[in-house]
Amino acid sequence: MATVSAASVRFASLKPASRSNQANGVTSGVMFVTIGTSKLSFHSLRSSRFRVHCAAKPETVNKVIDIVKKQLALSDDTSLTPESKFSSLGADSLDTVEIVMCLEEEFDISVDEDNSQNITTVQEAAELIEKLVLQKAEAA
Amino acid sequence: MHRLLRGDMLPLPSNLVSRHLVVSSLPSLPPAPFPLRREAHLWYIVPNELEDASLLQDYMKLLSPCEKENVLSIKGEALKKCAILSRVLVRTTLSRYTDCKVNPRLFKFRKNRFGKPEVEHQNGCLWVPPSLQFNISHTSSMIACGVTVDVPIGIDIEEKRRKPVNNILSLAHRYFSPYEVQYLASFMDPESRQSEFLRLWTLKEAYVKALGRGFSGAPFRDFTIRFENSTDSVVPERPKSEEFRIMIDTASDSVNLTANWQFALVELCGSHLAAICMEKDENMPGTEQEFLKLKVWKTLPFVEDKCMSQTDAVINISGLC
Repeated sequence: MATVSAASVRFASLKPASRSNQANGVTSGVMFVTIGTSKLSFHSLRSSRFRVHCAAKPETVNKVIDIVKKQLALSDDTSLTPESKFSSLGADSLDTVEIVMCLEEEFDISVDEDNSQNITTVQEAAELIEKLVLQKAEAA
Repeated sequence: MHRLLRGDMLPLPSNLVSRHLVVSSLPSLPPAPFPLRREAHLWYIVPNELEDASLLQDYMKLLSPCEKENVLSIKGEALKKCAILSRVLVRTTLSRYTDCKVNPRLFKFRKNRFGKPEVEHQNGCLWVPPSLQFNISHTSSMIACGVTVDVPIGIDIEEKRRKPVNNILSLAHRYFSPYEVQYLASFMDPESRQSEFLRLWTLKEAYVKALGRGFSGAPFRDFTIRFENSTDSVVPERPKSEEFRIMIDTASDSVNLTANWQFALVELCGSHLAAICMEKDENMPGTEQEFLKLKVWKTLPFVEDKCMSQTDAVINISGLC
C-alpha cells in the first residue's frame, strides 16, 4: 500500500543516524514530515500535533511549477508557490493526469493511482517525486 | 415585481432584476418535479453570461463559510466566479427539488469515504426529499449539475474542441485499457482521434464519478468503454453507422468495478460534450434499460431558467431515448 510505505519512509528519516539519511546525503539537517491535509489512513497521524514542514529540493519544486504552468497555459509571470493548489489554478481531472504523466516522464518514475489522487498541490507533487526517486535509487 | 421567470417567459431587463436582488433576500426559485425512473436532470450555467457583479455578490451569500473561504483563496476573477457558480448551481438545483422549502443556503454537504460529495441529511425541521443524488462537473466555460432520485449518477462535461497538451496515444497508453488504445490508434485523422479521445475520457470520468470510489478505486485501465453498432464487430474500429451503443466491460472477478451502468453522451450548445452515467434499474424490462431519459435546463439562478430539452442545444450522440 502506497500510504503505508509513505508513513514508514517519513518516520525513518526523523532519526538523524538513519542509514537512508546518510547514504543518500539528504542535505537538510533533519528531515521533517508533512502530515497536515494528506490522506494518510492512520488517523493518529492526522493530528495537528504532528504537523511539521517538509522541504522538497527547490529544483524539484521549480520543475513541477514549470510543468504545471505549461499544462495550464499560465503566463510566465503567474507566481506559483509550493502551496499552490492545482484545483485553485483551474486544473481539472484531465489536467491533473496530464501533469502526472509529464512528471513521470521528467523524473523517470511511475505514479500509481493511489498516489496520483493525493497530489493536490505543487508541494505534494514535489515530495512524492522525491520519495519515488529515492525508492527507485534504493531498489537499484 | 421580481417574480421568478419560467422557461417560456421573456426575461426581464437585467438591471431591473438585479436591483431587486440587491435587497436582502433573493426571490424563490421555481420548484422542479422529481426526476422519474430512468430519468436524469441536467442543469447548467454558462459563466460568461453572468456579467452582473451585484448578482455574483448575492450568490456569494448562499455559500457556507467554508465554501466562501475556498473562493477567497482562489486567485483570478474568472476562477473565483466559476467556484462561486459551481456551489450556487448545486445549492439552487437541490433546493428546487425540495419544492423550494429548503433555502439553498441551508444544505450541508459531506464526502463519502472515497471523497464523493453528497448531501448530508439532517434530522429535524428541514424537509428532506427522497434520496437525491447529484454530481457536478465543470469546465471554464460551463458548469453542470446532474440529478437523479435514488440512483447514483456521475457526469462529466468537456469542451468539444479541447486539445490535450500531451500526445493522445501517449495519454491513452498510460491511462486507458488496451482495447481503447487500439480503438484510438485506428483513427488516422488527428481531429477524429482527438474527438474520440474526449468521448472516451468523459464517459470514463462519468463512470468513475458515478461509482463514487475515486480515481484510485476505479483505475481507468481496469475497465473498457466501447461503442457497439449493430454489426457488433469484434475488432475495434469506428462504428460504421451513426448509431451506436455505449458499452462497458470490466473484469469478471472485479468486485468494485460493476458493469450494470447506463451511459448517455450528448452534445450541449454545439460546444460541449456531456457524458452521463447512471446505475441500471434491474427491475426494468430489458429493452427499457437500454436508454435513459434526460431533461436539460440552462439556468442563471433567480434570473432565468430555460428548458433546453428537445432543442438544438441538446443533441443525442448515444444513449438517450
